[in-house]
Amino acid sequence: MSQVKNELEVPLSSRLALYVAMALTLIYSFFPVYWMLVTSVRDPKVLYNQVSLIPGPFSLESYETLLAATDYPTWFHNSVLVASVTVVITLIFSVLIAYAVTRLHLRGKTAIIGSMLLAYMFPPLLVAIPLYTIFAQIGLANTHLALILSHCTITLPLGVWLLWGFFKQLPIDVEQAAMVDGCSRLGAFFRVVLPLSLPGVTTVAIFSFLLSWTDYTFALVMIDSDDQKTLPVGLETMTGQYELRDGELMAGSTLIALPLLILFIFLNRYFIHGLAAGAVKR
Amino acid sequence: MGGDRTIYGLFFFGLALTAVVIVYPAVYAIELSFQNAQSFISEPEWVGLDNYVRVLQDAEFWNALWRGIIFAGTAILLQIVLGIGFAMLLDAAIPFKRAFRGIALLPYLLPTLIVALTFRWMLNDPIGVVTVAMQDLGFGTIDWFGSPTLAMGLVITISVWIWTPFVTVAILAGLQSVPDSLYEAAKVDGANGWQRFWHVTIPQLGPVLTVVVLLRAIWMFNKFDIVWLMTGGGPLQATEHLPILAYRKAFQSYDVSTGATVSTISFLILAVAVVIYFRMFPLDTKD
Repeated sequence: MSQVKNELEVPLSSRLALYVAMALTLIYSFFPVYWMLVTSVRDPKVLYNQVSLIPGPFSLESYETLLAATDYPTWFHNSVLVASVTVVITLIFSVLIAYAVTRLHLRGKTAIIGSMLLAYMFPPLLVAIPLYTIFAQIGLANTHLALILSHCTITLPLGVWLLWGFFKQLPIDVEQAAMVDGCSRLGAFFRVVLPLSLPGVTTVAIFSFLLSWTDYTFALVMIDSDDQKTLPVGLETMTGQYELRDGELMAGSTLIALPLLILFIFLNRYFIHGLAAGAVKR
Repeated sequence: MGGDRTIYGLFFFGLALTAVVIVYPAVYAIELSFQNAQSFISEPEWVGLDNYVRVLQDAEFWNALWRGIIFAGTAILLQIVLGIGFAMLLDAAIPFKRAFRGIALLPYLLPTLIVALTFRWMLNDPIGVVTVAMQDLGFGTIDWFGSPTLAMGLVITISVWIWTPFVTVAILAGLQSVPDSLYEAAKVDGANGWQRFWHVTIPQLGPVLTVVVLLRAIWMFNKFDIVWLMTGGGPLQATEHLPILAYRKAFQSYDVSTGATVSTISFLILAVAVVIYFRMFPLDTKD
């Protein structure tokens, strides 16, 4: 509808202005990403001597140096592990809590949902300082479990909040019909509710992954030893420790961004839906 | 029903876990702020309000608070203005709409670290693309990280680049709900494009803007990573706001209690600001 409205509103003469605005927006949004990609595949012999906006000469030397000189594969493995476990824990518990809050007769429902919103307001360090203190005291400091749990402090409230909105809209009749037909509540949940709420669950999974994969702050605080680091903190320490150059840093950045870009291209609508629902605490 | 009992059981287990990972740390932070923990593993003593008195008498704290307000305030203002502009553009009849929308959202998805590394490389002296472009345009070599004003401008600019798409998406969703009849009525009354924007679009976006400004304000005020990665709080503490002050105290000076106190005060300031904000802009609670 808005498309029709705007087509009528925009006279041909101002089309040009529109295209100029589009071009500027495109350059503004995409140039840094473009520059990261171009830098990562430019021959180092040229890269550090002259600046050219045109890609090339092509070379994968920066990638080779990166993988040969650093623990990059280990960090990649750590990141995949931490992000996957965070997604699984978040899904299980946020589905449970959100479902219970919408379907069971519980006291203090609003308090639970309200406290999830409050958690949105916590400064990261208000959580990170006491968490690290607790983990240090019980011997969990510098472990992946510590990092996973600290990521859950962001992803759980987000998951409950999003799924609560989702379960609320599902018609309760379908479920009751299934239960009348002899399904247990658990059966009705797995056969009816979960399939129907797949878009919501997918959105939560994507954003939990995104938050965990991109996190810098918690990983900086929780992890000390090199072999436990995740990609963002690992790559950052390289800038000092290995004296790597920007070509390798851009190669490392490209490899971190690639999984996100692929996810984004294929699951675009979930991203838009989640963003519009205020999904990311960033 | 047996199934119900299982669900209740699982639910309370889930709630307990949530309490442990979210509520307990926050409570423990407040506890730490009343103690004198000088490292992460020492046995702390209770010291009452000593930490609060010390922090509130320290000029370092007030400077950091003020810088945080400048950082967050400027960044939010620019994010809102740019976000509305991008949303109007994306809402217009443009070719390749979906692809274009995707690219406009891209900055929001990138890990902060990647953005920081890329901008550091673009500003590299002598071979960064921005450095060379500035020289070619006759501005000479700009020392972004050496001047307090430029460093603050830099972290604000990059924050705007990363987080504006959040505003864009929210406003874009809001624009879809503005009834076309309002625009037509305004047109009949002789309102030009600019007047329709001010008197129809903006008031209709009110509820969306209220929430967007609130969320962005909270997240920008708490923002740690981009500032830490770009300037580390420097030069000479010029970009050190409350999150960086708290981090420096807790994880570099191992003064855990001061770090916890700064974080707690910063949370309290935020809470008060949110309450005042809701008084000024009450949310529509119809749904």
